[in-house]
Amino acid sequence: MQKVKVSLTVNRKKYNLKVDPDERLLDTLRDRLHLFGVKEGCSIGECGACTVILDGKAVNSCMVYTFQIDGSQVLTVEGLEIDGRLDPLQLSFIEHQAVQCGFCTPGMLMSAKALLNKNPNPDKEAIKTAIEGNLCRCTGYQQIIEAIEASTKKDGSE
Amino acid sequence: MIEFEALKPQNLKEALAVLKEKGMDIKILAGGTDLLVEINNNSDRLGDFKYLMDISSIKGLDEIENKKEHLIIGALCTHTQISESELIKRNFPILIRAAKTIGSTQIRNRGTIGGNINNGSPAADLITPLIALKGSVILKSKNKKRELPLQDFITGPYKTDRKEDEIMTKIKIPKITSDYQSSFQKVKRRQAVAIARINLAVVTDIKKKRFNDIRVVFGSATPTAIRFLKIEKRLKQAHINELDLESIAEQTGQEMVEITGERWSTPYKKPVVGNLLIRALQEIIREVQ
Ligand SMILES: Cc1cc2nc3c(=O)[nH]c(=O)nc-3n(C[C@H](O)[C@H](O)[C@H](O)COP(=O)(O)OP(=O)(O)OC[C@H]3O[C@@H](n4cnc5c(N)ncnc54)[C@H](O)[C@@H]3O)c2cc1C
Ligand code: FES
Ligand code: FES
Repeated sequence: MQKVKVSLTVNRKKYNLKVDPDERLLDTLRDRLHLFGVKEGCSIGECGACTVILDGKAVNSCMVYTFQIDGSQVLTVEGLEIDGRLDPLQLSFIEHQAVQCGFCTPGMLMSAKALLNKNPNPDKEAIKTAIEGNLCRCTGYQQIIEAIEASTKKDGSE
Repeated sequence: MIEFEALKPQNLKEALAVLKEKGMDIKILAGGTDLLVEINNNSDRLGDFKYLMDISSIKGLDEIENKKEHLIIGALCTHTQISESELIKRNFPILIRAAKTIGSTQIRNRGTIGGNINNGSPAADLITPLIALKGSVILKSKNKKRELPLQDFITGPYKTDRKEDEIMTKIKIPKITSDYQSSFQKVKRRQAVAIARINLAVVTDIKKKRFNDIRVVFGSATPTAIRFLKIEKRLKQAHINELDLESIAEQTGQEMVEITGERWSTPYKKPVVGNLLIRALQEIIREVQ
């Protein structure tokens, strides 16, 4: 298989890569860029553990070939932290005990972040819709929804 | 493992030229939400191909155009784009309701209307309402452009009339007047019951409290989504306050069995289609009263 040249901006840093045709964005992020916050669960678009923000939208990185997205911007959970400071959404997850085993957490955060970027004051329905593609086997979702809700209120009052 | 080379044409013209040359060895890739699952599962449905041609960033195929008598939806429009379109909301709210039920936010952000149609799944959630809306599809090859009704384009489960050198560029839907109502119903796949997700689209106008131009299309109840003509005939001119719901439900189930024959799934599906239609009719009647 012939490699394909792709340039990507990942977590605000630019990369020029040569990727295999069947290399998924998930593989590029984990195997080349060592961003292990991106998790592989089901590999078929059903669990959301691999969710990243691609050009502003939450996507499953197991459902995208890297060669498709030349010139794109990608944000992973590692990119939420800026200069060593966690994103308010991450702090809210910790505060509301929305993290148990943590496997779903990076994907959950990215789905929630994509929502908040687009709509800083979502209602509960919008929050549920945003994370319906993210499975969590531990928390029963309640704490996660609360964590996202709290971080919207914070954004509103600041 | 499936091995392939990547092709990434810069525009539609280039894509069509490449397809003309080696279409038989090419698989088209749009949002990838059907294809990457099949490649991951090494699905038999994939057939042989040497090249995967990504069209997802080709310009001009992701627009929604408002024409005098039609609405035209670019094949690369995603389910998210469709869900958020004011034009579609005003003209065909049923499409929005259907698009919003697809997968998850992540899937809707990538999955396209063209992919949903071309994958040709009997359960594809946009095919059913598009047939009820009498939509047609536009296909382009290097030297030709053709248009045909979506109903004719889908030739079997996961089978379409697309030729090797063609790309679907647009979906065209004739506008309907404001006295048309619609309903979309769907039984979600339940984890325990691995049975296809039946869906239903009903589009009808109502004149003097009677159904008039009524279209009833089921997905996944029959090998491909089709109109149930017998039940349509019975409902046409029926008064909305004088419906014998029980017998309508029964007849709908029978019509399905006439089409499919008795199958292992019949005892499950037969009551479901009847109940779905009742739900749809009730929803429509509530709207107009
Ligand atoms: C977790 C999950 C949940 C899902 N849930 C639903 C659901 O609830 N309802 C539903 O209907 N679907 C569902 N799907 C299926 C899928 O998301 C949709 O069918 C989607 O619309 C496919 O579009 P795509 O652009 O991703 O197609 P792709 O995977 O890129 O392509 C699909 C097929 O269409 C062909 N193709 C694509 N575009 C064109 C074109 N313009 N011209 C010619 N051929 C073309 C490709 O060659 C391929 O054969 C789900 C998928 C996943 C992974
Ligand atoms: S690993 Fe991508 S959705 Fe599960
Ligand atoms: S915290 Fe364990 S899967 Fe969500």
